[in-house]
Amino acid sequence: MSKINVLSRSRLRARAISGFLRHFIGHGGAQLGLVCLGFFLAVAAMPDTLVGPLETAITATGDFLAPPSRLHYLGTDEVGRDVLNLVVHGARISLTIALLATVISLVVGTTVGITAGYFGGLADVCLMRVTDFFFVVPSFVLALVITPVALEAMGAGGEILGFRPSLFVIIVVIGLTSWAFVARVIRSQTLSLKERTFIDRARVAGSSNTSIMLRHILPNLVPQVAANGALVVANAIYIETSLSFLGLGDPLQPSWGTLLSLAQRSGAASVGAWWYLGAPGVCVLTVSLAFVLIGNALDDTFNPRRRVIP
Amino acid sequence: MPDNAELLRLENLQVRFPMQSSAIDSILGRPKRVVRAVDGIDLNIARGEIVALVGESGSGKTTVGRIITKLVQPTGGRLLFDGTDMTMAHGVSGLRPYRHRVQMIFQDAYQALNPRHTVFDAVAEPLRSLGLVENHDQLTERVSESLSAAGLKPPEEFFARFPHELSGGQRQRVVVAGALGVRPELIVADEPVSMLDVSIRAQLLQALIDLREKYSLALLFITHDLPLAWLIADRIAVMYLGKVVEMGSADDITLKASHPYTLALRDATPKLHNEAGRGGVQALQGEVPSAARVPSGCRFHPRCPLAFERCRVEEPPAIAVGPQHTSACWLAK
Ligand SMILES: Nc1ncnc2c1ncn2[C@@H]1O[C@H](COP(=O)(O)OP(=O)(O)OP(=O)(O)O)[C@@H](O)[C@H]1O
Ligand SMILES: [Mg+2]
Repeated sequence: MSKINVLSRSRLRARAISGFLRHFIGHGGAQLGLVCLGFFLAVAAMPDTLVGPLETAITATGDFLAPPSRLHYLGTDEVGRDVLNLVVHGARISLTIALLATVISLVVGTTVGITAGYFGGLADVCLMRVTDFFFVVPSFVLALVITPVALEAMGAGGEILGFRPSLFVIIVVIGLTSWAFVARVIRSQTLSLKERTFIDRARVAGSSNTSIMLRHILPNLVPQVAANGALVVANAIYIETSLSFLGLGDPLQPSWGTLLSLAQRSGAASVGAWWYLGAPGVCVLTVSLAFVLIGNALDDTFNPRRRVIP
Repeated sequence: MPDNAELLRLENLQVRFPMQSSAIDSILGRPKRVVRAVDGIDLNIARGEIVALVGESGSGKTTVGRIITKLVQPTGGRLLFDGTDMTMAHGVSGLRPYRHRVQMIFQDAYQALNPRHTVFDAVAEPLRSLGLVENHDQLTERVSESLSAAGLKPPEEFFARFPHELSGGQRQRVVVAGALGVRPELIVADEPVSMLDVSIRAQLLQALIDLREKYSLALLFITHDLPLAWLIADRIAVMYLGKVVEMGSADDITLKASHPYTLALRDATPKLHNEAGRGGVQALQGEVPSAARVPSGCRFHPRCPLAFERCRVEEPPAIAVGPQHTSACWLAK
């Protein structure tokens, strides 16, 4: 009997999920977003097989700032490196930074938001003041503060999980500056969820606060977390780009933002090397647009009431 | 049948909810306004007894139930369960033994189930949280047993369903099953049948009565329906604006009611055959006043056809009108 129960349970879950997916995929924006994202994820997954190892000034083969040609589809940079090679390797770095930063921001934001909303009172006041601080602190300033600390801790040549210190700092900074937004959304949702009768029923059932937060509130927050998560990724890509553009990136692990920064400094704009600025720029725009489209589609699918009003 | 051993006792219990005061009020230093949702209630329930709490909407019935299940902290009075003072008990682990003995059936079954939990999870939750089962087989057995007892048969068919895949009546039964599974000594049933159609209503009431016989379960049955209360309860407490105005055996309250409010409630009930002519009291006039503005004197006097001068200034105490029968009315004797 227990086996039947487990079987039919998983079948029902599968049915609910496939229904959700059908609706989600049917969304025009979601299709476009998923195709773009899938393309970039595939590129980021195997840069070496697509374009060979990351070129350096020493291994560079082309002319300086040569326009696109048979040999170099996206032209070359100021030291003769193939821009296509750089952009493809940049995809891996940019996406990894954005996704890791999003994970940090979702975990921190959801934890703070649920705790503040559920317990209320003093805990709420304190947590929300901290949230307000991180909500307004500029990411660039935070990066300037954290960089020396990270360098001190890791040493200039050290690596954490394969990231050199400056990239690690960027991940932490983006994570720290974007969770506040998540925390606010989650808190307000928690405030309304905790008034629902099923929370009272769980209390009478003797469930602990932790269990109520994890088993009753969190599952009902999945729509918010998913939809906002996609928007946080889009935002993280922008912050990463601007921080790297300002020179906080690492030339040895160049992201799209670092490429833009290098292009800017080599005077690509003034000599008309549009391919050097354009290639990473278009990539940043496409990927963040893809995440925004996916986020909006998730929001629409989870929230049937929004579908009625266009 | 009740064996007279007292299980639950409420002594002068009060709940006041603070009201949001306006900025002007706080500048002028006016006292904070409060909603007197429950305004001094005395009630006791014996083991295996069914007591009905009857009253109009907003009279504070649900709040009484929420005090008993420790969802609301009373602002005054005492709550005694089986001789132990539970008024100040709090905390998840501190309340666990109490939760094992007292359960609640919630008024709104649409809201009482987590939309993301299956029926199995919903019924299993108290069993798991209160540590009443040792392994999964035992859990499955207890859940099936409770679902069948609440009339959901065959239980396995409901295990994997989500609340949105159930009818209103089936949801209500799931909530009932969740409370039964714990095998408590007292269940606070807040309008458990108000959403059900007549045939299911009778089944569910019968199920509750059977359980009382089988496990000597006590029941606080909250309803606004006086005939229904008479049908199921041993004793009835009639509540008006946060206070019990009349209390007595089911027959006393229905046949020998003494308080004008009870009489009005009784006469407000539509009858199929208008057999007995309407009693000396007209139907209820006007709305229940807000619990934030409880009238002075007897709280029923603005709507009472028999009110006289004393009622406006002095609040009547519970006056004994018979054995086990009290009425808070100056005309009671
Ligand atoms: N949390 C709260 N905060 C403020 N006021 C409240 C709160 N809960 C209940 N009240 C007020 O207390 C009074 C009694 O409410 P309660 O829900 O106990 O009534 P009820 O008898 O159960 O009514 P119904 O038959 O409609 O369910 C009402 O005036 C209500 O507005
Ligand atoms: Mg109620």
